[in-house]
Amino acid sequence: MKKFLIKISLFLFCMGIFGIYVFSFADGSTDPFYLRFASPRQSSLILGTSRAAQGIQPKILDEILESDKNHKFYNYAFTLGHSPYGPTYLQSIKTKINSKTNKGVFIVTVDPWAISSTKENPNDFSNFREKERILGKVTINNVSPNIQYLLFGFEGSYINILKNKYQNTALFLHKDGWLEVDVPMDSVSVNKRISQKIRNYRNINLPLFHFSELRLLYLEKTIMYLKEYGSVYLARLPVHPKMLEIEKSLMPDFDEKINQLVKSRKIPYLDMTNNNEQYEFIDGNHLYKTSGAEVSKKIAEWIMMMK
Amino acid sequence: MLFNSLDFAIFLPIVFVLYWFVVNKNLKHQNILIAVASYVFYGWWDWRFLALILFSTLVDYVVGVSLGKEQNLNKRKILLWISILINLGFLGFFKYYNFFLDNFKSAFTFFGSEINANSLNIILPVGISFYTFQTLSYTIDVYKKRLEPTKDFISFAAFVSFFPQLVAGPIERATNLLPQMLSKRKFEYNEAVDGLRQILWGLFKKIVIADNCATYANLIFNNSADYSGSTLVLGAVFFTFQIYGDFSGYSDIAIGTSRLFGFKLMQNFAFPYFSRDIAEFWRRWHISLSTWFRDYLYIPLGGSRGGTWMKVRNTFIIFIVSGFWHGANWTFIVWGALNALYFLPLLLTKRNRQNLETVAEGSYLPSIKEFSNMALTFGLTVLAWIFFRADNIGHAIDYLGEIFSSSLFTFPEVIPKTILLLIFIFVIMEWIGREGQFAIDFVKKFNSPLVRHSIYFIVAIAILLFGNFSENQFIYFQF
Repeated sequence: MKKFLIKISLFLFCMGIFGIYVFSFADGSTDPFYLRFASPRQSSLILGTSRAAQGIQPKILDEILESDKNHKFYNYAFTLGHSPYGPTYLQSIKTKINSKTNKGVFIVTVDPWAISSTKENPNDFSNFREKERILGKVTINNVSPNIQYLLFGFEGSYINILKNKYQNTALFLHKDGWLEVDVPMDSVSVNKRISQKIRNYRNINLPLFHFSELRLLYLEKTIMYLKEYGSVYLARLPVHPKMLEIEKSLMPDFDEKINQLVKSRKIPYLDMTNNNEQYEFIDGNHLYKTSGAEVSKKIAEWIMMMK
Repeated sequence: MLFNSLDFAIFLPIVFVLYWFVVNKNLKHQNILIAVASYVFYGWWDWRFLALILFSTLVDYVVGVSLGKEQNLNKRKILLWISILINLGFLGFFKYYNFFLDNFKSAFTFFGSEINANSLNIILPVGISFYTFQTLSYTIDVYKKRLEPTKDFISFAAFVSFFPQLVAGPIERATNLLPQMLSKRKFEYNEAVDGLRQILWGLFKKIVIADNCATYANLIFNNSADYSGSTLVLGAVFFTFQIYGDFSGYSDIAIGTSRLFGFKLMQNFAFPYFSRDIAEFWRRWHISLSTWFRDYLYIPLGGSRGGTWMKVRNTFIIFIVSGFWHGANWTFIVWGALNALYFLPLLLTKRNRQNLETVAEGSYLPSIKEFSNMALTFGLTVLAWIFFRADNIGHAIDYLGEIFSSSLFTFPEVIPKTILLLIFIFVIMEWIGREGQFAIDFVKKFNSPLVRHSIYFIVAIAILLFGNFSENQFIYFQF
């Protein structure tokens, strides 16, 4: 028995060491989220869904706003499935924020989807799908390598950690949390992706999503929480005009709701959907990186003006 | 609790240490530990259904003890039927109620009259088909006087709920497992190492082969209308390896885990995809279920003793019931019937027992005839699995229709090279080890510990690097 236990322990120990060695290769090429869980606590955050994850580039904001090294922007936005406003996202923000700061700058992006839920009872928190996903499952989001993330949050095979490191991938997560997406931008590919995305949103998402009072309340709670650590700026990013039409059908009174929130909580709000035609989109929902750079610049200039 | 979960990785060492270091001196305490650990294992999924197992255990225990005392044949028959009706009653209610109701409703509607009956929102208790058959085998064996009934309730409860094989088999016979529960177990180093080796291979089959194949099988089956015939063939092949890796992987982990605790369970899979005909396939696939049906249904029906018509009838009954055992859907019934059709020519020409030994025994490669027979049997099996995996009969027919169209000769739209390479390596490993109990059983023949340990590390590293760790449920849990 002793021999058996020693041998099995040694075997498992060696495998553990090997596993940690493989995990040490994890970086921005690993998947679209890992680095956000493996970076230290941050003082200035960009929040929202994949529109913000791909659309707002912290580097540009830092350059224009001349952020000091302790208050550099960090993109902590995920996807509609992972980070709509709610208790799960707020909890994750709480463990990501540097609680020693009071000079942080927080860009909170919002759109009708981010305050909606897919359930018939949109206020039933027990059914919020993000609870079962990465932000709900991975509670540690500021250590590297993040073993908890790699064990419970990472999807796919671990060989991808090694494979993606040495080959070009369409997605690359920068150290500042910006998710760079490189896809063909010829008109045929773009039109195909836009029509597919619009079709999916119109036929699948629109009937499925309903406004959630609870999510709106959590957007407000998130804003109030962030205000303790600095200034909060609310923004709505540009989308393809056809997507905007769908959003108007989903929530015709979205502007009223947000204006009410902005007024009551005394925070500045920038609605960029009035200039949708000026930008290029990958798929109608996400800005292409050059347009993302322009949008980031405009947001930075707006913040500077509001300061 | 899933074998491929962190919960089980913590649970197993705890139970192992308690079993061999804390309660090792007392058989009764060991059996209490097995029963309690098994209930925890099962309750991890849904504790409410523990009552069902406990009730089933109690019924068969009482019936067994009563059968031991009762000599009157009629009273013995009544006792047997009480057990059968209660066990099959639970199974029928939880698994088949909605199926029968929906089909009755459809039949009545077809003939112009409506019936008002609502389907129930029933949760299928995990593993109910497995433990029901296991307890039934006990009662039937006691009734037939093949086995003495036990008066030791704890050991009987441990036999019914034995956690390694509780939810997906092998369906153990009381004649094999119960005597082991009643006798003192001793830790044997070689058995434990063999057990770990089998667990390692089972994990490889489940996490690397089955779960990776599942990704593509699901993608192709769920969107079959969008794919060409050649892609659909690939989808069916992926499912063929998924179901084998999933189910036989579970069996390997179950058997290996049992060995760690000093129990020997029956072999459940014997390299079925190397079979040279369908009869051989069914002697090698899900052996514990096939032999259960043989002993408790086929033989009582008359087996192959009667005339040709009797043999054909019994064969169809056995295959259709076996299909229906897998699930309350016509797809499973058709899958069973299709296998019966495959079996029929062999039965009628009395060639159903011609391939009893392992293919190409003692050789590296099969002969051309053996290879072509294996390829044909594999092809037939793949076609039958389409019914097993399809959502409904219409889906299966559409799927087959697209396969047998000109698009079969186009290049597949989905070619996951890594998975295909892993399947290729897996088949080679299985071929090398086909004369053992499981593929890497042959490793123990190497005298050099360096060679043995290198192979273990290669398999473990392959699991770590190529495994799909999404904790996917085992397919057979739903049966």
